Formats: sequence, structure tokens, C-alpha cells
Amino acid sequence: MTALLAVEQLGKSFGGLRAVADLSLEVPRGCVAGLMGPNGAGKTTVINLLSGLLRPDHGHIRLDGVPIEALPAHEIAARGIARTYQNVRLFAGLTALEQVIAGCFLQRGASLLASLLGLPAARAAQRRVRARAMELLAQVGMAARAEQLAETLSYGEQRRIEIARALGAEPRLLLLDEPTAGMNAAESEAIGRLVHRLRDSGVTVLMVEHNVRLITAFCDRVSVMNFGRALVHGTPAACMAHPGVQEAYFGRRDDAARIQALR
Amino acid sequence: MANTLADLWEAYRSTLGFAIVNALFGLSTYAVLSVGILSFATVTYAAAGGFIGTQLALQLHWPTLLVLPAAAVAGAALAWLAALILLRLDSHWMALASLALVLLTRVVAINATGLTGGVSGLSVPLFVPFVVMPALLLIAVLLFWRLGASWYGIAARAVREDAVVAATIGIPARRIRMLAFVISGATGGAGGMALALMLHFLSPDTYFINVAFTMIAAVVLGGSYHWAGAIIGALVFTVLPVLAQAVLPAFEQVLNGVALLLIMIFLPRGLIDPRQWRLRRVRAR
Amino acid sequence: MALFADQLVNGCALGALYALFAIGFGLVFATLGILNAAHGTYASAAAIAAYFAVDALGVPFPLALLLGVAAAAVLALAVDQVAFQPLRAQGGGMLGALITSIAAWIVLDNLADDATGHQSLSFPLSSYPSGMIHLGAIAFARMQGWTILAMAAVTVAMHLLIRRSRFGAAMRAVGWNEAAAALSGVNPRAVVSATALLAGATSGLAGVLGAVLTQNVSYTLGEGLMLKGFAAVVVGGYDDVRGAAVAGVALGIIEVMTAQYLSSSLRDGITYALLLGFLLLRPRGLFGSAAFTRA
Repeated sequence: MTALLAVEQLGKSFGGLRAVADLSLEVPRGCVAGLMGPNGAGKTTVINLLSGLLRPDHGHIRLDGVPIEALPAHEIAARGIARTYQNVRLFAGLTALEQVIAGCFLQRGASLLASLLGLPAARAAQRRVRARAMELLAQVGMAARAEQLAETLSYGEQRRIEIARALGAEPRLLLLDEPTAGMNAAESEAIGRLVHRLRDSGVTVLMVEHNVRLITAFCDRVSVMNFGRALVHGTPAACMAHPGVQEAYFGRRDDAARIQALR
Repeated sequence: MANTLADLWEAYRSTLGFAIVNALFGLSTYAVLSVGILSFATVTYAAAGGFIGTQLALQLHWPTLLVLPAAAVAGAALAWLAALILLRLDSHWMALASLALVLLTRVVAINATGLTGGVSGLSVPLFVPFVVMPALLLIAVLLFWRLGASWYGIAARAVREDAVVAATIGIPARRIRMLAFVISGATGGAGGMALALMLHFLSPDTYFINVAFTMIAAVVLGGSYHWAGAIIGALVFTVLPVLAQAVLPAFEQVLNGVALLLIMIFLPRGLIDPRQWRLRRVRAR
Repeated sequence: MALFADQLVNGCALGALYALFAIGFGLVFATLGILNAAHGTYASAAAIAAYFAVDALGVPFPLALLLGVAAAAVLALAVDQVAFQPLRAQGGGMLGALITSIAAWIVLDNLADDATGHQSLSFPLSSYPSGMIHLGAIAFARMQGWTILAMAAVTVAMHLLIRRSRFGAAMRAVGWNEAAAALSGVNPRAVVSATALLAGATSGLAGVLGAVLTQNVSYTLGEGLMLKGFAAVVVGGYDDVRGAAVAGVALGIIEVMTAQYLSSSLRDGITYALLLGFLLLRPRGLFGSAAFTRA
């Protein structure tokens, strides 16, 4: 059985800078995968490549074996990849519920003409979308906020709404870019549990995350990147113990020794 | 008493008619503004609708009522073509290019004498019962209301606020914008024909920058976040000059300009601002 | 051949007006991010001020020219303060400033129309250097020569000012990122005001010279300059003075030649078609840098 997501020899440069260099990684169906790496390792670039916001210079991205790297972003979303953003990007002026209804665009289920004429089928589809959006808001614990303007909500709440919006596209693969950035420990835990519930409901998750504790507790497998390349893949524990990872995060052992010596 | 009422109606009927025409132009501008595009090209669609519609009636003897939808179709087709060109550009280049289209429109109107009568203009001896005007606006309102309530409405708002994010939830931003152009073209084309029916005379200057600026001003005053804004703005910007002329005839235009300036400074989001209502609703809790 | 040469000079002189106008218009767009629909009214105002200085006060032409330019500069600053500063304070976008500039345009155009008594005036022939100059087979009006010289001088001066001086660096910094410029010690208010003054002055110069060349002192002077100057900015690229100058002159020549050798009804069409073509194929203009973007 092929992995849900397979990335092969992916490369992307900006000017002279190689943001992603020959990256390969796989995300099996039904797991929570973590993508780690120091700042500037190229993690967000990978997410942008996977969601079609950037075109790779070379390499393949396969979803269920089908190459998608040449598709426009909205096609990729239709094929089943949805995402959130490192710095929450909700639509200004829309309520929480409307954000998620927008996220359900692919489930609209009626032609524009039918909607204009208010045909019963279109009205039913609209009710279905609304109910689904409410359900998703409830799933992320935001049902009580449905009618509020999203920009008036707290940062953590906005992140949850962004996840609900992404889920509206009924993704097979959900990409979360630092879903707990700026959150305290309790809020991060809650996001971790939410991700587990999503996995159990059949959504495969790939998340970029800095919080090592969260990765260890909630990810089934981890890939660590540095300088645009994959350093190591494996279980969280194995990855954390890998000397290359230690070095990427904390510097070389002999560097540390030298710093000690300088003191 | 009945006589004075009839006189009043006679005096202000044409004002109402022009307000409706301006409302159609305003809605046409709103249609693209609601997906985040500032375009002056409504003037071009209006010219296409007005000239083509008039010629259909004069040369091919189409019934006047059939000419209005034909003008809408002509406007929509032209808008589709314009979108193919304009959507390749970034936002403010798009605004500039649409302004260039307006300038070109006038050149075409002057030179395509067979269609437009050239500099000497084109007489439009067509008459419809006045009720056609409000009916036209009603149809447009129904269209925009249904659009706003459908999935298109929310997709348009998503594209307006952040086209990149919209794409990653599966909204084809370019297609939504094409659609917005076509809607803008149809409304503008019908408005152009309605203007011809109000004026009974068309010249190359009928569809020019003054129309563009009236409609943009109307949308800004009324608010560009709800279709009702375009209509209310158009009403104000049609009635205001009439009032100004009654009060201070010498400075009618100057007063218009001052009013526009004050509105923009003190009411930057316009009279109809759904976001404000929602914020107030939150605070009221 | 002599006809061609004469028309070439005519085109250059007309184009010099467009260029002068375009330089200020582009400067405001690049530095302040404003598409200023009122830019043409500064030209009309300068022409009217100079006209009344000559006609009513008997001021000599060179001094009247300076008065007109100064009036346009002050007017531009006033418009900036009244119509643009409040929006800047609110952090309003480009659309808002476009609308307020339209408002200023409506107001000023109508005031100009009132000032000239709803007609087109013209400078008395004896009031300005009106002789002809003969250069070999070419003959052209003295004022055409002055106009071309003025355009060349302003282009060089503005280019040096923007690219070589500290003030120019500050202007470009504000154009890039106002907040960052302020943090690095640039006073954005001063830069904004100076930009408005400069833009008004160049527009005013185009206005007075244009009023003499075209024998038209009325609000239509500014409107005509506005449409063609706008085309010159797009064709030349709004962030480069040289581009605006070259494009302005080129458009002037194309316009005159089209009218002479093709058909006078096509003269505007060619300009606007070029405008559209450039927007589509080379939106940053002849000299525009690809990296230049304005938030």
C-alpha cells in the first residue's frame, strides 16, 4: 500500500538560496506526522509547495500515488490537501461560521443558477453546508462563537477556526503550520488532543512544530529537516536521540565544548 | 392637490430615472469591487450596451423591451473579454488598465460612426413606460441579493479578503473573478441601455469619465461591502446635484466635490457597513 | 522633409509638456502611493494665476511664470493636506486617496472654470517671447524651444535630486516603506510635503508653458495634460524620471506624426492603445525596475 503523501527529490530555490534541496519524505495514511527543524530549515516552504502556493524547481509530490506538483492551489485543495498558516490568515469581516462555510466551498453541491433561482435542491445543499460548518465549529470547540466576527476572537480561538475552515474542504491530508505558535502549555495540549481526534476520524495530519514535548506526545512519526534537506525520519524518540538532530538544534558538541572552554 | 403631486412627479421622475441608472452602474462597479478589483470598465460595458442596444432597435427593429437584455448580454460578453486581459495584471495596474479602456472607449465611440454616430451623436427615439426603470433595478437587486446569499457570495468575500488563502480551500479565485466581471458587464450593459432610454440621445461623451467617477463615488459613499450600498450611494449622488442646484446653483459641482471629500474622510467604509453592524452586535452582548 | 522636421519639433514641444506633467504625477505615485486625479488641476491653476498676473497686474512673463509655478506648488500642498493627510492618518488604502483626489479634481476644475469665466483665455501675444527661431531649414516658436529646454533641465535636476541626494534617498525610502523610513530617521511628513510641492511645481510649469503653446487658459488645459501625462507615466514607468521624460516626448511626437501622416482622428487612439499595450506587456514601463513594488 502506498503512502498517502510521497515527496520525492523535491527542490526549490529562491534566487541563490536553496530553501528545499532534494527532500524526500512519506506520510502514511492515518497518522500524525511531525515536521521539525531549526528556523530557516525550509519547513514552511515545504508546506507552501505541498499546498500549491509555490511550484517546485524539481521533484514530485504524490498524493495517493498521483503527482500533484503541477496543479494550481485550488485543484490541490480539491484533491484533498488543506492547510493552516503560521500566522493565522482568516478572512476579515467574516464571522467564525462564515469562515468555515467558505472552507466548505468544495461541498457547495449546487450550480450557481440553481442557487440564484432558489431551487429546493440548492436550498437543501446550502442547509447541509451550514450544518456541516456548525458541526466543524463544534468539533474544534468553537460552536458558541459561530456568530462572532473572527477578528474579535482571541489568537488561540482564531487558530481553531482556521483548522475548522481547512476541515471544511474535507481533506485527506491536513497541513498544520505551527498550530501552537504563541500558545501556552494548556492550549497546546488541547490542540494536540484535537489533532488526535482528527486522526481518529480519518484525517492524516502533517504538522510543522517546534514544541518538542508536543511532537513527542502527539506525533506518530517525525521528519527532521535542516538546510532544506531531510536529516532523519522515524519515531519521535528515535529522532530526538539522533546526534544530527541534537547538533542541528543545539550546535555541535565540540562547539559546546569550545564555548565551555571560553568561559 | 392632485395637480401639485402630479407636477412634483413630473419634475422628479427623471431624477428618479437617472438615480436608477446610476444605481445600475454602481452595482456593476460593486460586482467587481466585491472580489477585490477596482475597475472603471463599467463605462465601457455601458457604452457597448447603449450603442449596440440602440442599433438593434433602430436597424433591426427589435422591440425596445428585448433590447435591454440584449444590452446586458453585449456588456457581459465585452466584460468577459476585458477580464481575459485585465486579470493578468496586479491590482492597481488593473485599475489603470481599466481606465485606459475607458479612454479607448471614447476614441472608438468617436470613430466607429456606423455604430455610434460619431461626434454628432446618435438620436434614440425609443420610449418605454417609466415602470420599466424600477423593474430593471428590481431585477438587478434580486440578482445581487441571491448572489450574495449563495456560495458565490461567500466565495467572493473570501477572494476579496485573501485570494491566496481562498485558493487553498479550493476556491478557484480566477474563475470567481471572471464571473464577477461578467456580472459587472451584464449590469453595466443594461445600465448603458437604460441611460440611452432616459437621455434619448447618445454621444461619445455620454459614456466617459464622469460616469466612471459618479459610480465609484456612489459605491464608496454607500459602502462597497454590501450591494445596497451602491444603490443608496447612487441615489445620494443623483439627488445631491439636483438639491445643490436648487440651493446654490453656481457652486453645484463644487459642493459635489466637497461632499465626496467629507464622506471619504469621515465615512471611509461607507454608509452600509455590515462589519460595523456585527461589531455592534458583539458589543451589545 | 522640412515639414517632417517642423513636426518633429512640434511633437517634442508637446511631448515636453506631457513629460513635465508625468514627472510630478509619477513622483507622487512612487513616493506617496497616490494616483492623483487632481494633478491636472495644478496645471490649470498655474496657467490661470500666471495669466492674471500678466493681464491684470502687468507682471513680466518670467515673473508670472514663477508665480504660476509657486501657486501650483502651494495648491498641491494644500490638496495633500486636505484630501490625503486625513486618510494617511487613518491608514486608508489607495482607493480612498483616489476618491478624495477625484473630489479635489471636481472642486478645483469647477473653480478654475469659474475663474476664467467659463471660457478659454489666452496670453496676449506681446506678453511672452513669441518670435520664431530658425535653425537651418527648421523654424520653430521661441516658446517651443524654451519648453523643451525647461523639460530637459527639470528632468536632469529631478533625476539627480532623486538618485543622488540625501533628500532623494529619503523619498525613495518613504516610497518603499514609510514606517521603516521613519525608524531610520527620515521625517515622513517633511518628505511627503516636499514631494507634493515638487509635484505641484512641475505640473504648474507644464501648465503655464502649455497655456502659452496651446493658447488655452482654462480647466481643459489640465484635463488634456492629465490624460496624456497619465499615459506617459505608464509607458515610461512611474518610478523613473528619465522614463517619464522619454515616454512623454515620444508620445508627443507619435501624436503629432499620427495627426500629420495618418489621421487626426487617430491621434488619441494611438496614445491610449499604447497605454493599454504597455500595461499588459510591460506594466512597469520602459525603465521601471522589475523589483519595484508598492505595498
